[in-house]
Amino acid sequence: MKLVGITSCPNGIAHTYMAAEGLNKAAQEKGMDIKVETQGSIGVENELTEEDIEEADGVVIAADKSVEKSRFEGKPVLETDSSEAINNAGALLARFEAGEVETYGAKTGREKANEKIEEEKSKKKKKQNPLYRHLMNGVSYMIPFVVVGGLLIAISLSLGGEPSADGLAIPEGSFWNSINQMGNTAFSLMVPILAGFIAMSIADRPGLAPGMIGGFIANDGSFYGSEAGAGFIGGIIAGFLAGYIAKWIKEVKVPEIIQPIMPILIIPILASLAVGLIFIYVLGAPIAGLMEALTNGLEGMEGGSRILLGLILGAMISFDMGGPFNKVAFLFGAALITQGQPEVMGAIAAAICTPPLGMGLASLIFKRKFKSDEQEAGKAAVAMGLVGITEGAIPLAAADPFRVIPSIMAGGMSAGAIAMMGNVADHVPHGGPIVAVFGAIDNVLMFFVAIIVGTIVTALLANILKKPTMEGS
Amino acid sequence: MDIEALLHKEAVDTALESTDKEGALKEMAALLPGSVLSDKQQFLRDVHARENEGSTGIGFGFAIPHAKSNGVKEAAIAVGKSPSGIEWKSMDGQPAEVIFLIAVPQENAGDDHLKILQQLSKKMMDESFRHSLKQAETKQQIIDIVSGI
Repeated sequence: MKLVGITSCPNGIAHTYMAAEGLNKAAQEKGMDIKVETQGSIGVENELTEEDIEEADGVVIAADKSVEKSRFEGKPVLETDSSEAINNAGALLARFEAGEVETYGAKTGREKANEKIEEEKSKKKKKQNPLYRHLMNGVSYMIPFVVVGGLLIAISLSLGGEPSADGLAIPEGSFWNSINQMGNTAFSLMVPILAGFIAMSIADRPGLAPGMIGGFIANDGSFYGSEAGAGFIGGIIAGFLAGYIAKWIKEVKVPEIIQPIMPILIIPILASLAVGLIFIYVLGAPIAGLMEALTNGLEGMEGGSRILLGLILGAMISFDMGGPFNKVAFLFGAALITQGQPEVMGAIAAAICTPPLGMGLASLIFKRKFKSDEQEAGKAAVAMGLVGITEGAIPLAAADPFRVIPSIMAGGMSAGAIAMMGNVADHVPHGGPIVAVFGAIDNVLMFFVAIIVGTIVTALLANILKKPTMEGS
Repeated sequence: MDIEALLHKEAVDTALESTDKEGALKEMAALLPGSVLSDKQQFLRDVHARENEGSTGIGFGFAIPHAKSNGVKEAAIAVGKSPSGIEWKSMDGQPAEVIFLIAVPQENAGDDHLKILQQLSKKMMDESFRHSLKQAETKQQIIDIVSGI
């Protein structure tokens, strides 16, 4: 007999491990196989994999606090506290031998779909490398600034702009000019916030000030005699520099009397000086040059290369549905909004929603290719697609990745390329039909053409690739 | 880091005077050197709070009261033996003869000390380890047994 177990206790210092040892010893005496995951203050150790759980004949949970049980659905699950496992592990395991343990209940398809998304997300989180985690921390704080800035500028231009020699211009002193300035303020805070929260993710609070100051300097070319500034790439570099410098200073051993002023005085000052000076004298100008080349390159792009960019971004957005590839493409698009290149985000916004919409559509039309719980997940996916959450496709992709991922990539690529060709622009860093509702899309018609074509391509290809299910329904 | 870093020599007592749980906890917390506790009262409150969530009397005559506490500066262990045994509301009803008091800081820099406590906990389930601790008569014997994990 093969079992799996989880142990956990309030402080996670002692009982967790004693209970695990108790179960291991009892299983050894009975000639059973057991693998016990410990959820202690060190973190989760000896983590149960999906295969472990799949192969197990039963699950014993010896915990004094609540433990997530959804992954044990359909298995006999015995729940008890840690002291039972410490003192009476033998008797606990005997109940599995006697077949007395009840099977843990089944759930509806929709609940399962949501859990699957959470599960995949948390799996990805665990696998994330720290650099990516710090970057994403910065990005998540930055996004609202880009949203506010992008929307306010787009609205003030469309409602308050008057045609002039160089395109739409908002008259000085008008109401819409104030709104436009607010939007610009939000944009100018974007890079400092990005850098600040990258640094804070690395070095905690002492990293915030050096990160924000470094980010501000990176973003403002006047510090180092450049017109353009080092933009978001400079901000990312400033954030990492500030974070690691602050962290490094933090680790220096200092006399106890200085310790209290380290986080509020010494670390912020030294790290800010270091990052600021590095940018002013060394890094600022070269990175600014690089940014300029990037924006000029994008501006100068013609037909073929624009389509290629749309294809690449569409593929990245759909490939891992919210994972690192998706996030990198997304960050690229979001950053370029503030560099006056919202077309890139336009292509991304279209591709963001086609995986869930396309797979949702497929599950509704081609019912015999999808199990009943997948059909439930499909309905949820449509809802998520409409509001631009690519992760909605995860339950359907996880069930059959080698057939689904190529389908959604083809759909995302079509959407990205069409949006690029149609000059779709998106002024906020978010995707799906919802952004058009908020008025952040230029060329709304082509935006929807891109989404519809991408959705249909996804659904048709999924139908061709997927095999009928064995399920009777 | 190994267990010697957590178990200070002065924090071992082969004959606790107290006959009840509260007294024993106070007596043992006083054994911990000044570098360990910044606020003894806070630490004791947290230990009691943990006891109230469920007794740390693990049975077999052993108890391991412990807390993660703001009153703790660095992780440490105190070991006390009670010749008469102390009622600890253990699972198996037996009084506690060997008591490990474990102090862990609320915010900790690394998890080395947790790894050691993890090993100690595992060892606690080993009958021969428990037996030799019960037999131990001197401070040095206790230190040697615990260091042997």
